[in-house]
Amino acid sequence: MLRVMTWISLRLGRRAGRVVLHLIASYFLLFAPASRRASRNYLRRALGRPPRWRDLYQHFFTFAATIHDRVYLVNHRFELFDFEVHGEDTLRRLLAGGKGLFLMGAHLGSFEVIRALGRRDTDLRVAMVMHQDNAQKINAMLAAINPEAVQDIIGLGHIDSMLKLRERLDEGGVVGMLADRTPGNDILYPVPILGTNANLPSGPFRTAALLRRPVVFMTGLYLGGNRYAIHFDPLADFSTVARGQRDAAVEAAIARYAALLDHYCRTAPYNWFNFFDFWQPAPTATPPKAG
Amino acid sequence: MQDNQKPTVSSTAALQREVAELMIECLNLEVTADQITPDAPLYGDGLGLDSIDVLEAALEVSKRYGLQLRSDSEDNKHIFSSLRSLSDYIAAQRTR
Repeated sequence: MLRVMTWISLRLGRRAGRVVLHLIASYFLLFAPASRRASRNYLRRALGRPPRWRDLYQHFFTFAATIHDRVYLVNHRFELFDFEVHGEDTLRRLLAGGKGLFLMGAHLGSFEVIRALGRRDTDLRVAMVMHQDNAQKINAMLAAINPEAVQDIIGLGHIDSMLKLRERLDEGGVVGMLADRTPGNDILYPVPILGTNANLPSGPFRTAALLRRPVVFMTGLYLGGNRYAIHFDPLADFSTVARGQRDAAVEAAIARYAALLDHYCRTAPYNWFNFFDFWQPAPTATPPKAG
Repeated sequence: MQDNQKPTVSSTAALQREVAELMIECLNLEVTADQITPDAPLYGDGLGLDSIDVLEAALEVSKRYGLQLRSDSEDNKHIFSSLRSLSDYIAAQRTR
């Protein structure tokens, strides 16, 4: 199925592929009540008004469009797109340190445009870290689109992947994570996003704190047509944080991350791709680790 | 490199205790060294560590005993499965 879609997209062009996207967005709008409910709950917060059907449609279409564009980006068809990049100076300054850094994004916009930008403009390679099951799924998908792209995904889960991640950083590399979802038993922090507390996982930030690296926020927002706006914002720097101050620094970083999510959700509301109840209360009380 | 060889040296109770204390201190665990059974799993049900905790312990242990940990070593899963296997590995590979 994915191979067929990839073939249509690459042979018949982006415009033909996008006709299919309208069908996909319509399908979700009509036949996916759970996603529709999640979309409506989110859009009410982000837009500050009751969402209309066309808002929901726009939301699903944006999601489908970014996934579709991944086919081109993974195949290096950068000339099809118009990227505007904000905050590149910050990124370059921190990279010049040579000790690597973390890029933390969210299910907000497209992270593939950021990886693509790295490949196009520099020899910078962003290795995305994600939970093992997702890593396998994504690797299978990338293999269908472009076999060369596979190696840039690190599956999280046990000590090997953590050591691999550290080796990447030691080589001055960039490690990307989507820090808005938890893979499982993680310590959660309640932080306000769009006016209501959401529970964010602490794992990504604990990892960055433990490995004492700078963290830069990233998002690749889809603006419609062939336009993307890529943003890099300084988020935290754990380079000099001692062990005793680590928990407080992690907490501050999560608060800053939440504020950035809040900001970009309001700026580009249709780019939020968490189609589930993101603001649900934590299943059990999970206080931060003592000490 | 001896990375892929199974350690042939068994750790002593004293070393196991030392490693347990190192982990308790570095991870702020609310147990005493006596309470950590050598064969209980470090992950999940045993000590309840997650992969970030295990990484922290791994970094601490490698610094203390001069070990070279590598991501492509096939034994990592075994080494970090319990206090005993970790201590056995240290006993076999330590450089200080």
